[in-house]
Amino acid sequence: MSTQLQLDEKRRKAITQCSRCGFCRAVCPIFDLTKRPITNARGKMILMKEIMEGTVPVTEGVAQALLRCTTCMNCTVNCPSGVDPQEVIKAARKDMVAMGYDNLFKKMGEVVEKYGNIYGEEERHNWGHKKGKAPYALFVGCVGTFREEESVGEAIQLLDLLKVDFTMIDEVCCSGVMEDVGYKIKEELALRNIRELQKTSANTLITTCPYCYRVFKEHPSYKELGLEVKHITQFLKDFDLGVKTLKKVTYHDPCDLGRHAGIYDEPREIIRKIAPNFVEPRRSRENAMCCGSGGGLRGSFPEDSIEISRNRLSQMIEETGAEILLTECPSCLHNFRNAKLRKQKIEIYNITEFIAQLFQEGREKELA
Amino acid sequence: MNIEGYEFPEGLHYDKNHFWARVEGDLVVMGMNDYAQKMAGSIVYVGLPPEGKKLVQGKSFTKIESGKWLGKVFSVVSGELVAVNEELERKAKLINEDCYGKGWMFKIKPDNMEELKNLMTEPAVIQEWLKAEIAEHSKK
Repeated sequence: MSTQLQLDEKRRKAITQCSRCGFCRAVCPIFDLTKRPITNARGKMILMKEIMEGTVPVTEGVAQALLRCTTCMNCTVNCPSGVDPQEVIKAARKDMVAMGYDNLFKKMGEVVEKYGNIYGEEERHNWGHKKGKAPYALFVGCVGTFREEESVGEAIQLLDLLKVDFTMIDEVCCSGVMEDVGYKIKEELALRNIRELQKTSANTLITTCPYCYRVFKEHPSYKELGLEVKHITQFLKDFDLGVKTLKKVTYHDPCDLGRHAGIYDEPREIIRKIAPNFVEPRRSRENAMCCGSGGGLRGSFPEDSIEISRNRLSQMIEETGAEILLTECPSCLHNFRNAKLRKQKIEIYNITEFIAQLFQEGREKELA
Repeated sequence: MNIEGYEFPEGLHYDKNHFWARVEGDLVVMGMNDYAQKMAGSIVYVGLPPEGKKLVQGKSFTKIESGKWLGKVFSVVSGELVAVNEELERKAKLINEDCYGKGWMFKIKPDNMEELKNLMTEPAVIQEWLKAEIAEHSKK
């Protein structure tokens, strides 16, 4: 067992590159909530430098402090020194585990292996959709399946309404999240997903979850997948949807879709087709504030996670006056819906869910 | 009364979905029992439906979440939801801190108070049921 941080040269350099300017404080969702220096990238870089120099020992407290980050990358895009703190933090989390400081996600890893999902649910919802061969395969992921089932159902319905020939599979967790919280992807689960997807003979994999999208597209364990990977917004952007709302609509950029995957325009292209009254929040695109659900924070510090979501939601309501908040990420959706106060009248949907409902409303009007 | 380390105050009605009921005038107050709140872990969210919602005894009408678990809330009686504990909106962990007091969840105007007879009140019955629940849960 290692007793020291094993960070490689690149990450050690990143830590020393941090000039301690504190620009990251202005954009850190956890620092915004707590005002505690250690919760922010600057504080963590200072901590890790002192550990590297031997002036601060590694303790359980250090391991816990490193978990208190959503890995939203807002620090990264705003760092004038070019540091990517969240990437260093994820590497340090692995070092903590290697040093014997297991965290609560060790149990989650065991659950994922045993049940094929992060929640330990014994049965996965049967969407009643075909599982066979088709040019497109749809992967919906754990959060959508077990926490925002209705939203996923609407997305499936939308694809059917648009006459997309797609199949679903017997999914298991993409398990990429384990890499963010100190552990490793579950190779066996990745192989199962690859096998199931290849059986479909699909050319393209569509994901409803931005995190799953990133894992399938980028993680070496999925390099043999052999399918083009698209987030559902990339897939839908060129469709002629033929539905509209006159309500004032705003959009929240999920960190996993935006800063991490660079997908900003496609969701907006879709929204502009259906919502002429689309209003951007002040902090959007690369500068969007995090919803608080990423980086394992919803599991490790759930109260912080929801409070961050509440702050972001309030910020967007205040800045835009929107009646409808759209996003396209099951984790963001779930956190916002948990965070929304009763007095806040804004409605919150995934884009695909909202469009499916517009179709439904259109059909009901025709029948009336 | 204390059953295997879990508090189950006398004078309340208990259902098999792990919720308790207390009569308050012509209303029924409900909440989660001590065993369930301990099993759930730190509760972070309770869905608070709008007042006026029609409820059916034994049917779920909203959700409750801890960091690791999502569960359903089942109504203890049929009737109309007349009040929610708005403190839970920002502090759902009141359910963990004081599940029979400040952590009450909903107030219902029952269609028929007689429905409470479907719930458990006898200590021996509650004890037998809870022990079976504990044994069942420990198998998982």
